[in-house]
Amino acid sequence: MTKYIIRRLLGIIPTLLVIITISFFIIRVAPGGPFDGERALPEVVKRNIEAKYHMNDPLIVQYGRYMFDVLRGDLGPSYRYKDHDVNFYIFQSLPNSMILGAIAISLSIIFGITSGMLAAVKQNTWVDYLSMALAVVGISVPLFVIGPVLQYIFAMRLGWFPTSGWFRSGDGWKTIVLPALTLAFADFATIARLTRSSMLETLRSDYIRTAKAKGMKPSAIIFKHSMKGAMLPIVSYLGPAFAGIITGSVVVETVFRIPGLGRFFVQSSFNRDYTLIVGVVIVYSVILVIMNFLVDIVYSLLDPRITYK
Amino acid sequence: MNLFNKKSNKLQTTNEFNQVVVGNSLTKDAWRRLKKNKMAVISVIIVIVYILLATLAPILPIYPYDEIILDHQHLKPSFSKNAGELLMEKRLADIYTQAWRQGRMQVSEAEEEMLWAWIDSSNANKVWDYMFVVGSEQVAEGTYTLTAAEKRIIENLEKKLQTDLQITVKKVWYTNSETGKKENVARLPVEQVVEIYAEMVGASIASVSNQYEREIEQQLVKVIMAQNTGLTPEEYLLLYDKKLESMSEREHDKLIKENVFSKIVSYAKDIASQDLKTAATDASAEFPLDKEISILGSLSADVEATRKHDRQYYLGTDNQGRDMLSRIIYGGQVSIAIGFIGTITSVLIGIVLGSLAGYLGGKVDYFIMRIVDIMYGLPYMLLVIIAMAIFGRNILNLFFALAIISWLTISRMVRGQIMSLKNQEFIEAARSMGAPTWRIIFKHLVPNSLSVIIVFSTLRIPSFIMTESFLSYLGLGVQAPYASWGSLVGDAVGGMTLYPWKLFFPAATMTIFLFAMNFLGDGLRDAFDPQSKNQL
Amino acid sequence: MTNATSPDTYKRLLEVKGLQTYFKTDAGIVKAVDGISFTLNKGETLGIVGESGSGKSVTNLSIMRLIPSPPGKIVGGEVLFEGKDILKLSESELRHLRGNDISMIFQDPMTSLNPFLRISTQMIETIRLHKTMSRKEALAKSIEMLKLVGIPAAEERIHSYPHQFSGGMRQRVMIAMALSCEAKILIADEPTTALDVTIQAQILELIQELSKKLDTAVILITHDLGVVAGMCDTVCVMYAGKIVEKAKTDDLYAKPSHPYTFGLIQSVPRLDKAHDGKLFSIEGQPPNVIDLPPCCPFHPRCHKAMDICRTKYPPTKDLGNGHEVSCWLFIDEKEHSHE
Ligand SMILES: Nc1ncnc2c1ncn2[C@@H]1O[C@H](COP(=O)(O)OP(=O)(O)O)[C@@H](O)[C@H]1O
Ligand SMILES: [Mg+2]
Repeated sequence: MTKYIIRRLLGIIPTLLVIITISFFIIRVAPGGPFDGERALPEVVKRNIEAKYHMNDPLIVQYGRYMFDVLRGDLGPSYRYKDHDVNFYIFQSLPNSMILGAIAISLSIIFGITSGMLAAVKQNTWVDYLSMALAVVGISVPLFVIGPVLQYIFAMRLGWFPTSGWFRSGDGWKTIVLPALTLAFADFATIARLTRSSMLETLRSDYIRTAKAKGMKPSAIIFKHSMKGAMLPIVSYLGPAFAGIITGSVVVETVFRIPGLGRFFVQSSFNRDYTLIVGVVIVYSVILVIMNFLVDIVYSLLDPRITYK
Repeated sequence: MNLFNKKSNKLQTTNEFNQVVVGNSLTKDAWRRLKKNKMAVISVIIVIVYILLATLAPILPIYPYDEIILDHQHLKPSFSKNAGELLMEKRLADIYTQAWRQGRMQVSEAEEEMLWAWIDSSNANKVWDYMFVVGSEQVAEGTYTLTAAEKRIIENLEKKLQTDLQITVKKVWYTNSETGKKENVARLPVEQVVEIYAEMVGASIASVSNQYEREIEQQLVKVIMAQNTGLTPEEYLLLYDKKLESMSEREHDKLIKENVFSKIVSYAKDIASQDLKTAATDASAEFPLDKEISILGSLSADVEATRKHDRQYYLGTDNQGRDMLSRIIYGGQVSIAIGFIGTITSVLIGIVLGSLAGYLGGKVDYFIMRIVDIMYGLPYMLLVIIAMAIFGRNILNLFFALAIISWLTISRMVRGQIMSLKNQEFIEAARSMGAPTWRIIFKHLVPNSLSVIIVFSTLRIPSFIMTESFLSYLGLGVQAPYASWGSLVGDAVGGMTLYPWKLFFPAATMTIFLFAMNFLGDGLRDAFDPQSKNQL
Repeated sequence: MTNATSPDTYKRLLEVKGLQTYFKTDAGIVKAVDGISFTLNKGETLGIVGESGSGKSVTNLSIMRLIPSPPGKIVGGEVLFEGKDILKLSESELRHLRGNDISMIFQDPMTSLNPFLRISTQMIETIRLHKTMSRKEALAKSIEMLKLVGIPAAEERIHSYPHQFSGGMRQRVMIAMALSCEAKILIADEPTTALDVTIQAQILELIQELSKKLDTAVILITHDLGVVAGMCDTVCVMYAGKIVEKAKTDDLYAKPSHPYTFGLIQSVPRLDKAHDGKLFSIEGQPPNVIDLPPCCPFHPRCHKAMDICRTKYPPTKDLGNGHEVSCWLFIDEKEHSHE
């Protein structure tokens, strides 16, 4: 097991290297960057950047230095803001995004699995049709439509929740409801469909027939015999689900004006603040890589047939 | 449904019990199952309708999607009333509401309460609608009399509505004085266009060129400012110089020609509206009116005149008075095209790389699959955003950025399929007969995994469209004056309480299409692979 | 049902009467089992043979009411277990019957055990479903059963997962599990088809030995007549959802009456009979059981087929000593015209 974990950890390295390399070249050679000369930057910023990147060194030395910095957790100065470096801005907004993302993924897992299971067990009843209809909506309707529609109905018309804002005085937790629901929707839909189909497949399997032939109760068959096998595809979907949450949060934070990493990312890509964009991508990639790693470990714990060779 | 029910008149085979044996090929079977799936059939029809609308957009009787009519900003959708009636209604509602707010128009206690409740919940639309009805009644009953100022406003508007013409200059002709030949000015070389313009306004070529250089500069700076916010004026100038330097002779000439020609056109428009003024007030005149007018000396123009306020906006207009119906159709053209072409491109890349990996195996396989693994670990949507930031926001870049990141899954699938097919007998047979590798791959292996690829591609299209619209929504995709469903929704979100139709129609149009594509994809998958019902 | 106490019916453990199980599919209604009847006595071993697709599995799944529905449905007949009709039992009565009175082992031991649960969990849960026992007692009983079926080092291996066992071992586990509640009937659906030839004999021997020891009646489903000869007291031969011949094993071998049975027996390689090095085989394919016309379904493959075979299904004829056959060859004209 330890060996397996170590092997998986080693597998992360190439991904990180690729990310850092891409980042380096974006900063160095992208048109409109400070090295391009096309863009006139404020004097202070320019000096910061020059000091940071030792522009006269050979490229390979610069690359090595950049990689060392990133591995140390230093993402460099911003192209646009002179007061703080990229780290400062990222760690200011990251917690907001993490809270939103964590709530959204939990909601989508809980509701997705529940409605998928219900749909499978009560196949071809109204429960099935309802939850699958909801799932099709989640798959077909983009977040940036769901978000405004929820805003329109629940904030503007019914007034139950505020349209936007983030833990502003008075509103508190209510501000998080609509964005979290919006963000959860797409993954909820996928998880519900996945759960349903994998549950149905499991219920058709030979070992469930054996369990029935032993005289087990339907509830015991579902919870004891089917759950674990049916959950495996869901666990492997969690990796892409995290990626979807990250992408989705970019939109949701824009729609609901949440001061998170995603909104920040969009703004800085309008400003062509490359160090900031790249910093955000590195942070997101690291989160994603770690999540994928955890998902792999959980999967291998769930499935006894996996051998840790 | 006749399309699906083509009966072949082949000789029917029977089994030992003299029963007809139905053919059992996979595609036939799949086809039969698909036809049974009502949702899938409806979806096919919807998708076909959308594609027809999108491809036939240029010949449909709709207004141009980029024609700005500032008078017609934010008109609400209506089937019964034309733009003029809506404008009048709007103005009256405004007058009556003013009158009520100033206490000149009386309403009942209960109504008063209701109106204030609407105002408190910022439901301005309802207030106007209600006041229009109440005001019209009161005027009719004589309980409210319009003031002189109000009457004047209404009369002015009425007159304007009747006489305003929308003039389109279709072609500008230049009659060559030497040869006597009529030439289309838009087709002439740039120097000649400039000469014609100088002659027209009676200025020297130097002063004309001075003028257009200045205007082009302003135009370019504006573009640069939109792309890079928050720089100092000197920095903008610097960027502008760079831009000019990097521009080729032809691009520059094109800009000049556009600039000068548009001036000629607007001059022609002025002349035409002078000319047609009498026709506008003449009740017997028939519209649309086509006419050739002479502008000045050897210049003449083909113009078409319509009554501006006779226009009908079935789905309303946007903040620049552009027709939403036509913007949605043209937006659909962009979205659907990106969805289909993007999917095809990414599927092709995926097929090539996946089949190479699967068939050749070994180092090639390892290398390609490592790339796929690594790219899977990246938040690739964000990379697309970065690519858009670096290479500029236009449709082509968007399309490439999407295609380049979307081949991963398909390449894995194709690889898996090919690996399992590779060792089957018919491939062995082809190999033993000395068929070259690429031929085996494309003649034998790929067609055999085609059903999987088709199903996957169908499900891929909606997600491609979603990604495109996602970027356009953020403002990182398709740029004005072009539209896509995503950018239309993005533009509408700001004013959705006041102008809900701007959000509703593009969102609904897009959603219906995505629904249809998803149902079709699900249907195809169930049809080709009935075992994996609703598998993702 | 009323005379459940008479000695004759008491001996009859299971009686299947006119069982019909149909599947609704896209292509039409599949009459997988169409009116079959047989009786299983206490301690007896009954063989059901037939080509694959003839409805053997569906018959036995119907007995346990394990037919997946939809698309399947038991549309007619009775299944009397100790005089009570299983088809009329409530869900909870049915659960009490399954695994406790009648238990099953399936064709593919690789997929029939839950891969996510330890063997111990699966065995203990089976025992505790039907017996009031503590976890510990159930574990002891499970180990005892595993030893009985010949699993070496049962105390340790009981805690493994199924994938850590070989196919033959898994089938032994299945048998142990099936017999752990002292079921009165064991239904074994082709228990050896998925196994290596060398293992097959061991498993069959084990079933035979244990059923004697525990006094369990066995329904053995197989497509292999050779297996039947060694193990079964009575044999039913199925073809296209119907039983075409039913007899004591010895009678069947001595006097195969239906041309299909005859063909089957001919096609079994036998050491005690000299043959000219060529194996007999029945030509053609078994029919698809969708929308069969009312005829003898075997007639296209039968070399003794007559005109009547093409238009009417033959009635069942008793040849004496419980030897029954459904074939026009044994119905004389007179009887026929009476029908
Ligand atoms: N779930 C099902 N759906 C449709 N048809 C089925 C199903 N299960 C069995 N059948 C049909 O019933 C017939 C008998 O099957 P089965 O009893 O499994 O044959 P065997 O004698 O090989 O055990 C077959 O023709 C098969 O196609
Ligand atoms: Mg079977």
